[in-house]
Amino acid sequence: MTLTPEHAIVVQSLTKRYGDLRAVDDVSLTVAMGEVFAFLGPNGAGKTTTVEIIETIRTPTSGSVSVLGMDVAKAKRHIIPRIGVLPQGFSSFDRLTVAESIRYYARLFGCKHTDVDELMSLTNLGDKRDVQFRHLSGGLKQRLGIAITLVNDPEVVFLDEPTTGLDPHARRAVWDVLLGLKRGGKVVFLTTHYMDEAELLADTVSIISKGRIIATGSPDELIESNSDYMCMTLRSADVRAVESIRNLGFAPTPHGIDTIKVRVKHTDDVQEILREIKVSGAPLPSVDVRKPNLEEVFIGLTGEQLPANHAAQGDER
Amino acid sequence: MTPRIVTANLVVRLRTLSRENSAMFFTVAFPVILVLVFGAIFTKPEEMNFDLPVQDLDRSTASAQLIDSLAANAVFKTSSVPADVDATAYAREHKATLVLIIPQGFEQMQIRRLQFGDAEASAELTYIQDPSSTSVENRILLLNAVMAAVNQRMTAVPPFIQMSDQSILSRKYRFIEFFVPGIIAMAVMTSSLSGALNMNAELRQKGILRKLTTTPITTTDWLLSDILYQLVLATVSTTSILLVSYFVFDVRLHINGWLAVYLVLAVFVFVGIGMMLTPIAREAESATAAANAFLFPMMFLSGTFFPVEMMPGFLQSVARILPLYYVNEGLRASMIFDDHITSLRCAVITAGVAAVVFVAGAVVTRWNREA
Repeated sequence: MTLTPEHAIVVQSLTKRYGDLRAVDDVSLTVAMGEVFAFLGPNGAGKTTTVEIIETIRTPTSGSVSVLGMDVAKAKRHIIPRIGVLPQGFSSFDRLTVAESIRYYARLFGCKHTDVDELMSLTNLGDKRDVQFRHLSGGLKQRLGIAITLVNDPEVVFLDEPTTGLDPHARRAVWDVLLGLKRGGKVVFLTTHYMDEAELLADTVSIISKGRIIATGSPDELIESNSDYMCMTLRSADVRAVESIRNLGFAPTPHGIDTIKVRVKHTDDVQEILREIKVSGAPLPSVDVRKPNLEEVFIGLTGEQLPANHAAQGDER
Repeated sequence: MTPRIVTANLVVRLRTLSRENSAMFFTVAFPVILVLVFGAIFTKPEEMNFDLPVQDLDRSTASAQLIDSLAANAVFKTSSVPADVDATAYAREHKATLVLIIPQGFEQMQIRRLQFGDAEASAELTYIQDPSSTSVENRILLLNAVMAAVNQRMTAVPPFIQMSDQSILSRKYRFIEFFVPGIIAMAVMTSSLSGALNMNAELRQKGILRKLTTTPITTTDWLLSDILYQLVLATVSTTSILLVSYFVFDVRLHINGWLAVYLVLAVFVFVGIGMMLTPIAREAESATAAANAFLFPMMFLSGTFFPVEMMPGFLQSVARILPLYYVNEGLRASMIFDDHITSLRCAVITAGVAAVVFVAGAVVTRWNREA
């Protein structure tokens, strides 16, 4: 691969071993300048290990990683001032206020001209200026984390699961901030297991499973290239309907009390299923047939369900 | 090392401390409470006095004079036991561990001895005592000394052997004065070692260290800011200890450059040891246990509360490999004896230990999660 100035991040044949375990196995990826890149994968797939190697926190077993044209193994000192990292489960000093926390990290980076007010306004924290970290809600803490990530005006921003554990309102507030970064032309390396987040924000999505990259492309490309089937959703389907679908050789999966989903290849399959239900004497359910979304593509590719959505745990104040 | 980063960290630590009222209180209060408690226990043993119930069966002028001689000695506070009660029953009933009985005929015997020179005449006083009392033996010794003095006075001849004592010190020192330097060293050790250990465990547990690894801060910056922070705490606690000792117990010690030298060295040593323990104490709970495992043996074996010479030989050898021992010795040498040679010798040893543990602490303190 030829490195070009357009590449903010280039990862080539990256492997990380812990004893016999290959946490990251021959991973290669590139992130272009100005791109929002979403790194998806189930828990334990190797996402965080890969990201932490790119962030210079961990060292690779083999392979090469460059950020902004610099080798992470050799130029950590030069890379760190040019990147911003929001680690998973970000936390700060309990008794520092929002403004003091931002100012502290700005001083660590030697940024005398960091505009604390501008960062607070960018992350919608203006009215929380003098609130101590321990009194902030989960969503506000994450937004402060993003503000701190930007103190050195980084060229590349790494956000590791920035909305995990937040309620829907708090997640949307964080997304607004991330959309602002995207408009500002920052390179954003986003690690998430929320597919709607990736679909909304990312230009490119890479899916990692068991330490290996199994698909890369734009959300639309991934859906297009992995949707050689359609999702048929049947509501108010009774036992006879389910039985007749099984008899046709399909594998219905339950979703909720009386809703089932079936993967079908052609519209003929839809007609055949409806005909068979009618023959069984069951009432005809309401039917919806559509292309799979990114979440369904992800499940199809990785064979794993996504982690439960913890949105209800957030408590936006 | 970047002074800007070290200062930023120090400001954060001090700001956090100023907003934690309980931490502020205990930084100052813990050593001060120790000084007050131990000071109260050991400061003025000469003022101790014991209750001494006396049963005067003679009820004469001579027996009254003897009781006055006992009362004149500040050690005993006499009280009267009625002549018609059984002294043993009285002692049991009143939980008195020592009762003195002056027999009937005491005055007569005294007259025979003093006025008629009858060497055969003598009076036998009885102690009713409870041997299970830990202090009764000492009180009997003190009582014997008073009686010996009374006997001596009766001879009307000045005692032949006179005693005088001479201290190896230029002036007389009290236990509290030996104790204060030990408390200063112990306060610095406790705060520095457990402070460094707990802070790192807490920051790791909360994930703050992970964020810091993605900033330009280095472990050396972190260690130095921790040392400066602990130095501020050490100065505050030492000043409190010295002020309380001076105003409450009138303790006057030599305050000179050695005190500053030892505070700096002690902070380096104990922050360094705290840092060395961080890999085995990754959580706040295990950090406290690990800190205590080091603090308590060091506290008791290094001569903080009592002289090392009181311990068995092998424990004295153990004490001599503990860094707190040299801080204690050095501080006492400078603050009490004004002995610069010993201060210098202990400072050199402490500085050597400080250099080793600081470097070791910096090496083992890996913020990298792979460590």
